[in-house]
Amino acid sequence: MAEITRDITKKREQRYSYGLTLLRECIEKKRLMTNPNVKERKVLLRAEHISIAFGKLQALNNVMVEVKEGEILAIIGPNGAGKTCLLNVISGFYHAQQGDVYMEEKRITHLSSHKIAELGLCRTFQNIALYTGLSVTDNIIAGRHPHIGYNFVTGMIYFPWANKEEAYQRAIAEDIIDFLELEHVRGSVVGMLAYGLRKRVELGRALALEPRILLLDEPMAGMNLDEKEDMARFIIDINEFLKIPIVLIEHDMGVVMDIADRIVVLDFGNMIAEGVPEEIKGNPKVIAAYLGAG
Amino acid sequence: MEETIKSIVLGLCSGGIYALLAVSYVVIYKSTRVFPFSQAAVLIIGAYIMWYCLIAWHLPIWLGFIITCVGGAILGVFIERAFMRPLVGQPILAPIVVTLCLMLFLRGIGILMGKGDIQGFGESFLPVGAWKVGFLHLPKIQVYGFILCTVLIGALMLFYEKTRTGLGMRVVHEDHVVAQNLGINVKRIFQYSWIISCIIAVAAGMLLGNIQGVGLALDANGLIAIAAVLFGGLESFAGAIIAGLAIGILQMLTITYIAPLLPGETTMMIPFVFLLLILFIKPYGLFGLVRIERL
Amino acid sequence: MSININRPCGTFDRNYFQAKEIYRTPLRKILLALLIIGMYLLPFLVGDYGISILTLICAFTIGMLGLQIITGYCGQISIGHAAFMGVGMYTVGILQRHFGLNFWVCLPLAGLVPMFIGMMFGLPALRMKGLYLAFATLAAHFVIVYVISNWRSVTNGTDGMWMKRPDVLLGIDFKSDRNYYLLVLTITIIMTYLATNLARSKLGRSFVAVRDNDIAAEVMGINIAYTKIMAFGIGCFFAGISGALGGAYYEYVNIEWFGLDDSIWYLGFLVVGGFGSIFGAIAGATVWKIMDEFSTLVTPLAEIFLGGAAFYASAAFALVFYSLIIIVFLVFEPRGIAHRWEMVKRSYRLHPFPY
Repeated sequence: MAEITRDITKKREQRYSYGLTLLRECIEKKRLMTNPNVKERKVLLRAEHISIAFGKLQALNNVMVEVKEGEILAIIGPNGAGKTCLLNVISGFYHAQQGDVYMEEKRITHLSSHKIAELGLCRTFQNIALYTGLSVTDNIIAGRHPHIGYNFVTGMIYFPWANKEEAYQRAIAEDIIDFLELEHVRGSVVGMLAYGLRKRVELGRALALEPRILLLDEPMAGMNLDEKEDMARFIIDINEFLKIPIVLIEHDMGVVMDIADRIVVLDFGNMIAEGVPEEIKGNPKVIAAYLGAG
Repeated sequence: MEETIKSIVLGLCSGGIYALLAVSYVVIYKSTRVFPFSQAAVLIIGAYIMWYCLIAWHLPIWLGFIITCVGGAILGVFIERAFMRPLVGQPILAPIVVTLCLMLFLRGIGILMGKGDIQGFGESFLPVGAWKVGFLHLPKIQVYGFILCTVLIGALMLFYEKTRTGLGMRVVHEDHVVAQNLGINVKRIFQYSWIISCIIAVAAGMLLGNIQGVGLALDANGLIAIAAVLFGGLESFAGAIIAGLAIGILQMLTITYIAPLLPGETTMMIPFVFLLLILFIKPYGLFGLVRIERL
Repeated sequence: MSININRPCGTFDRNYFQAKEIYRTPLRKILLALLIIGMYLLPFLVGDYGISILTLICAFTIGMLGLQIITGYCGQISIGHAAFMGVGMYTVGILQRHFGLNFWVCLPLAGLVPMFIGMMFGLPALRMKGLYLAFATLAAHFVIVYVISNWRSVTNGTDGMWMKRPDVLLGIDFKSDRNYYLLVLTITIIMTYLATNLARSKLGRSFVAVRDNDIAAEVMGINIAYTKIMAFGIGCFFAGISGALGGAYYEYVNIEWFGLDDSIWYLGFLVVGGFGSIFGAIAGATVWKIMDEFSTLVTPLAEIFLGGAAFYASAAFALVFYSLIIIVFLVFEPRGIAHRWEMVKRSYRLHPFPY
């Protein structure tokens, strides 16, 4: 545990004030660094033969997705293609009728959602699902839940165990708030914030879970160009600084082509293409899916 | 064997009233998503109004019936306007606490109306005596009560199927926002739901007052009907009816077979043990809907 | 919660430890100390009647804190709280009568037994979302009342049981009401301390997360089944201890005192006090007990008003009057007395600005 001194101003001067350093210390204590050679990167998350149907509606049909270490993977496709459904299956919220999800070669398909989150698979939501009664800082500290280290009895007694632990978690949350530039709203109740800020708080909460892999569901929906650039900068920084792979569902082709390492295209529950952005741009099946055949 | 068949038939008769009460709960829950605990006390008020009409003012039966139903409708309007409508927009906890407090409020009003005593109806308004069918001894009160329940539930189902308002109510059962976009006045539908439910509960109260005596102990039947609602599924009319009959049969079988084995007053407790069993085995009920939540 | 939006003027934090303090300025700490000392000195000022009211307020505060944890923090509706108080009372009575145990040993058991019984009843309902816990606790109420009323060999049925006050501890004899009040006050302060810390600890945050958005909470690493069961269990623990202390005050317990009405008043006066805050629970319990005393005073007038020996007036008065108060609060001030007090404090701080 990093030393929390009673006077935080001294600590600030020593630290690189960009943010996320405490979080990176937490993450790196628990695992090894990524292999910098792109060709030799291992597969971190593998979803095989995922099929799920709601009644007669086949949402996903034999979809296979692989996420390698340290890359940014974009999942694109027209509306109704099943992208959010795929994310829900991977994070354990839906149970697929067929197929398996493997994280680091461990089968996580039938684990419950909170266990999967503890293993490091964190996600954001398309329609924001924040804890509306809590403030921004409290939301992010609530995201730290699996990694807070005291039980409820010591929590009720509070001094000295929970006291120190709560201060430490607050320091990590402030790290994330610094990074996401949310300082000016850190005390406001989330229900009163604007949409763009709420998306950032959502991202901060997902970061607080010490993700091993981050799944983002339309993080740039409803934003103008400036905000999109900010969000893209955050995503790239997370990818490079914390060295975690990011899976991105996005509709804005410009963003996708610029920041994604690989792209997967879904259409009506089927995976129709996969590859680097240059290949996808010219792929006739992709163009037909978006613009219609013929 | 004879005992069993007797118990089942008698249970069906009293189950009709439980089915009526269960339907009154389901009507409001389907429309407003608020579970109206207060209907258990509305039936006490209905029993007292009927008592006043018959015994205190010596009115003929049909007039008493009409006055009680009108009183139930007024009560429904009053409850919805004064207590439920100001709570729009508050979290689900607020209307639940209000219905619970309404149950106690109406109990208090019932005590004041009845001067605290259990009253009988004197000569009951439904004919006394029983018919003999084979070895069965069917009390006329129960049979007429069952017929009345069937008529009321049938009228309600006709209302839902045939009338425009009923169609509007069925849309509101599905989705409030969609109904509003279709031009249906959702607030008025809520009012109709409360009126219908109060009329049904008051009619059930009349029948129960006749069978069990007018007093405060009547709301035990209302609480037992809650077990019936859960058994049938919170959002299903067919489930409420079938479950009401089943709970009636269960009560009769309990009185015949289980009550001699256990000490004390088991008739209140057994339906709730049944409720806990349902929650373990089939928590959404027989015909209940499991809502898939999307993120 | 840990971030206090309405902070006294001029306070700022130098480190994270200060940021989460509840009583920040020295003035507040002194006022808190004075308040606690005042509550300890109060029995020397008021007479026996006052001491009895104060003891009951403290005992019911503990129970109300339990319900605040279940309903206010975790959002689960429980209509069986009075029944679990009864279980706590009867646990102490049974252990004292049949096993001759010391009161001090019985007290934690009086908390643990309702906790486990509550978890047992709540288990099926807590897996599911919606009102199912309300139904399960309704059923639990009737089953508990039945078991206690009819298990004559153990609980003496509806005749009630005699309980003994705690034995002599550190030379203090608890037979006198005043000493017993001081004991109950001490235990209340300890339980309030535990509840406040629970609210700002990891489990308390997960309660609020489950209340606000339980689907998101599950995906964000919070085990909602565990959280809901712990909320219900801890709430019932508080209820049991509250029952034990109340019962030892009267030195007699009877299950007839715990009807469905009392559970509904618990919920109702929690609404009056305010959801989601410790102060709300304390305010709710205080208002309830003061209303009780008020109704005892007013009932003879009501009897005269209704004419003659209206013996039913007391029962009707409580039912009608309390429910009207609760409904009026829900309609006009849904966040209760605690919120109104916050508004008063805020208007004082911001004077002369309106907001």
